[in-house]
Amino acid sequence: MPVIEYKCPNCGSGMVFDSTTGSLSCPSCGRQDNIEQIPDPLKKQVFTENEVKQYHCNSCGADIVTEPETSATTCSFCGAAVVLSDRLTGDLAPVKVIPFSISKEQAKQAFKKWCRNGLLTPSGFMSADRIQNITGMYVPFWLYELHNKIEVHGRGTKVRTYTQGDYHYTETQHFDIYRKIRLNYVNLPIDASEKMKDELMDKLEPFPYNELKEFKTPYLAGYIAEKYSYTDEELYPRAKEKTRSYIDSYIASTVSGYNSVSYTDKQIDTTLKNADYVLLPVWMVYYDFNRSQYTFAMNGQTGKVVGKPPISKAKVAGWFAGVSAVSLLSLKLVSWMMGGGFL
Amino acid sequence: MKQAKQLVMVTTLLMMVFGLAFSFLTVQTVSAAESKNLIYDEANLLSEQEKSELNGLANEYGAERQTDFIIFTSNNEEHKNEELLTEDFYDERAPGYDKAHGNTVILTLDMYNRKMYLAGFYKGEEYIDNGRAVKITAKIAPDVTDGNYRLAFEKYLDLSYEYMGIKPGVNPDNILFKTWFQLAASLAIGGIVVGVMAYRSGGRVTVNRATYEDSGSSSVIDRQDRYIRTTVTKQKIERNNNNGGGGGGGGGTTRGGHSHSGSSRSF
Repeated sequence: MPVIEYKCPNCGSGMVFDSTTGSLSCPSCGRQDNIEQIPDPLKKQVFTENEVKQYHCNSCGADIVTEPETSATTCSFCGAAVVLSDRLTGDLAPVKVIPFSISKEQAKQAFKKWCRNGLLTPSGFMSADRIQNITGMYVPFWLYELHNKIEVHGRGTKVRTYTQGDYHYTETQHFDIYRKIRLNYVNLPIDASEKMKDELMDKLEPFPYNELKEFKTPYLAGYIAEKYSYTDEELYPRAKEKTRSYIDSYIASTVSGYNSVSYTDKQIDTTLKNADYVLLPVWMVYYDFNRSQYTFAMNGQTGKVVGKPPISKAKVAGWFAGVSAVSLLSLKLVSWMMGGGFL
Repeated sequence: MKQAKQLVMVTTLLMMVFGLAFSFLTVQTVSAAESKNLIYDEANLLSEQEKSELNGLANEYGAERQTDFIIFTSNNEEHKNEELLTEDFYDERAPGYDKAHGNTVILTLDMYNRKMYLAGFYKGEEYIDNGRAVKITAKIAPDVTDGNYRLAFEKYLDLSYEYMGIKPGVNPDNILFKTWFQLAASLAIGGIVVGVMAYRSGGRVTVNRATYEDSGSSSVIDRQDRYIRTTVTKQKIERNNNNGGGGGGGGGTTRGGHSHSGSSRSF
């Protein structure tokens, strides 16, 4: 039985995850089930991979048409929330999940509010009345724990200038700098979905990790979920790359009091301690404007919206002219107050 | 309709910016109603036409600054020094915008000594103080040396007019007072602000190096800052020895008892 559905024990309707109460709830009779107490059917079953090629909806019997990455979706015929269990077991079993705390309606409102705040977006866009589709999606991420041993050698200078007689003196003290640092990163997220743009996902951070829950399939009921397209080893270089700038700025913070510092040798020894496969909540908003489609992503916990909105040339020109005029006027005022002529 | 309204709004704003800029750039042309002679070209350095053009300009500026801007050239037959020449000119001709022996700025070209002297009297003394007088003479000296008298005199009128619009005691060459700088700076600010707005419209990265750091287990284990050596370089201070002809600030009092500021410079 590779397809899991949650039927209400009271009335038999399909149950879905409710983001406001954080429980599995029945939209018909209102029954609420605590997810942490439901036995997860995944735990009892063992699948061999690629065993199942076709999925059938348990409610209506129709074929469930999905993309190969999808692990949870809704039946396109009857709308029942289904979880494709073989795509969530074995190597593909997520360790943890952050459930949604923002409901679809809240997400829509938050998105509309965000659109109104766009100072450069065309006014037709700001009304946000053409949301084509809004989808709650669990995006696969790897949470890395990286341990770094860093050894840095460098040169630092302290410069002092003074005047004596007819000469300016520049006195430079040279120092040999050495730092040995242990720097560990935990829960560093890297998006493992091929479909999601990396730069979009990077801007969605941070996710509140105190909301991390042990993975249970009912959390996925009613949402779309994907399985990872890249393994933790494949994404390890990207994780290291991401910490690189953090490490550099940490090193810089330990070297203070110098006028200039140059590094002669920087050795960073990174070990991959752990990588957890987690599903993080993202609302995807598809929006039609002027015959082109725009995609936005919203953090399903914090409500942060990212994505490139269209930019109105008229508003850009308006702001440019306005800001320039105000700056010119204030500069004139400053020069006038300093004693210069206003004209 | 909405588009059109926006367009109108934008063009008005743009016009405001440029209108503002140009109104600052172009000096309002005051009709030279009663034009008095302010050019005393006794060394005959200028043509009639040049004289009348400079006179027009001097009258126009003078009316705005309530000060006579005078150009006096002389062959100095009595071989006086340039300062005395200027002082006697003021005493004898009694110029002044407001009254005889009034607000005046005089540029004297002494063709015998090949020296120039710039003096300010009353309001002129207050605004064209010694420091400013030195600046003006230094700026026009190359043109006078080359014999471009017309150009030098025009520069003198422009500079004196400009400096008299700036409160006494303030450095008149401060870049903040320059209209081109103000315009460029405000356009740059506008560009930067809009650029940042456009850049940030897609959302920003709000994590930093501390977000994922496990501060409990991260620390500097070992550090060393070892002093190696000290190097010293020295550079001779350039004393301002007044390059090219030299000039000096210093005013005084005329024999008629009128105090003035001034700067002398050879050419």
